[in-house]
Amino acid sequence: MATKPLTKSEQIQQTILYPLDWLEERSGLVGGVKYFLFRKVPGDTNWFQTLGAATLTAFLVQALTGSILAMYYKPDPNEAYSSIQHITNDIFAGWLVRGMHKWGASVFIILMFMHMGRVFLFGAYKYPRELNWILGVLLLAMGLGEGFTGYLLPWDQTAYWATVVGININGTAPFLGPFLAQFLQGGTYINADTLSRFYAIHMLMIPGAIFALIGLHLYLVVRLGVTSPPWSKEAAGTGPLDGAASKNGRRRAGMLRPGPRRKR
Amino acid sequence: MATDRIVERRRVFVQYKEDVKERGKPFYPYAMWHDTIMSLVVVAVIIGLAIVWKYTTPGNHHTEAAGWLGKLYDAPADPGTINFVPRPDWYFYFLFYLLRIFKWPNTVLLGTIGIPTICLALLIAMPFIDLRAERRVLRRPVAIIAAILVILSMGVLTYKGATAKEALGTELIAKVPTWAKDEGFTNNKQAVAGAKLFAVAGCLNCHTYNSIGGGFAGAPDLTAEGAKNKGIAFEIAHLKCPACVNPGSPMPSFAGLGDARLKQLATFLDASKGKK
Repeated sequence: MATKPLTKSEQIQQTILYPLDWLEERSGLVGGVKYFLFRKVPGDTNWFQTLGAATLTAFLVQALTGSILAMYYKPDPNEAYSSIQHITNDIFAGWLVRGMHKWGASVFIILMFMHMGRVFLFGAYKYPRELNWILGVLLLAMGLGEGFTGYLLPWDQTAYWATVVGININGTAPFLGPFLAQFLQGGTYINADTLSRFYAIHMLMIPGAIFALIGLHLYLVVRLGVTSPPWSKEAAGTGPLDGAASKNGRRRAGMLRPGPRRKR
Repeated sequence: MATDRIVERRRVFVQYKEDVKERGKPFYPYAMWHDTIMSLVVVAVIIGLAIVWKYTTPGNHHTEAAGWLGKLYDAPADPGTINFVPRPDWYFYFLFYLLRIFKWPNTVLLGTIGIPTICLALLIAMPFIDLRAERRVLRRPVAIIAAILVILSMGVLTYKGATAKEALGTELIAKVPTWAKDEGFTNNKQAVAGAKLFAVAGCLNCHTYNSIGGGFAGAPDLTAEGAKNKGIAFEIAHLKCPACVNPGSPMPSFAGLGDARLKQLATFLDASKGKK
């Protein structure tokens, strides 16, 4: 079969799309992104269901501002406090980056709890999304761990003594407690190693785990689909796009009415 | 029947998938637009908090003055401080307050480890406890009442933690005069100062003294430590490096308190000859 010569606009289009085609052929990423963007969600998803994305954004703000702070912060008892002062007073917009990290932590924690509350209220932890609920609880625990380890880093009085108490609390746990306390402190009491240890946990270990867990969390959201609100009349919800559905009179009971399927 | 429920919930989920595929709307642009707006709001709020935090702080920003959102800095950490107020970040106030509700020595474990562990386990197990498919709020009275109770108790604990004034150690400092009377070192100023230090420095997390304290990790009762007549010099050496004097001791070093305070602490221990 002879191929038709391409028109000029087709040629331009091909040239523009070539990098995408190249990427798609080798990775399938373009198809993946398309699937992610154009997957269907229930028509009546609402603002409450943006809390997950909001939490993700808060985490990304923490990751970005944290990376910038790490460029100037010194995890050493003799220098930590002065490096924080340096960041706040001397570095261009340093106060903004530190302030965003400090207050972003609270926003992140609040949003995690609100997101969890929404999921609970919507009953969205029920079959088949149990595993995603568990991942969410682990993320919450990790987030609180970030709060605990990050609190020591300014190496000021509140930070130091709150950590003493926090480690003592860990230390009272049966069996593993003393080992956990020793692990956190990097010794039998709070010392210079404690600070660098908390720093490593705070900026490498837990964030790595959080990134991985968020990846799994989102994978399950995409795989299992978004839950419609519990007050929704139908499983898929009634959105602006489902006019066609009501036209042919198909109103089906969804996950809300688990009784025997009604005859239409 | 359990199997019926499994078959039914599978059917319902397949139906949900069909419904969404048929009549749902694409994530982009609809849901993504909402997500984007919400994300921008989050970033704006965070930046706003940072700005308020900085620009309501009076002075030249090198001071410890507090603005609307608190200080830019606290004083630098000093491991030798006495009379400290341990205060975690606000989202740990509920744990902090639990620690205060449960008293030494018997129930403190319940407050610090027991209740949080049980709560976390319940949270993880929730989808397996609540197996019904019902999602409408008004038809899940148990779940909703449980949620309201949890939110209320977290709120109350957080509030109590936020408004709790005295340090954990100050309750113990109040006992110092009693100790001095019982043990007969009221007139020994060094020993009384050492007793105050003993009350706030966390010694009673592990040791017991005059029937209070942790009794944790096999730490000995110190009520009659002075009756062993080990001497002040020994006590100082032991406080500086417990494992050097007493091989295998799990006790941490208190060298960070500094020589003057260690002397007071050692004098107090040496003066503790037991209840009279």
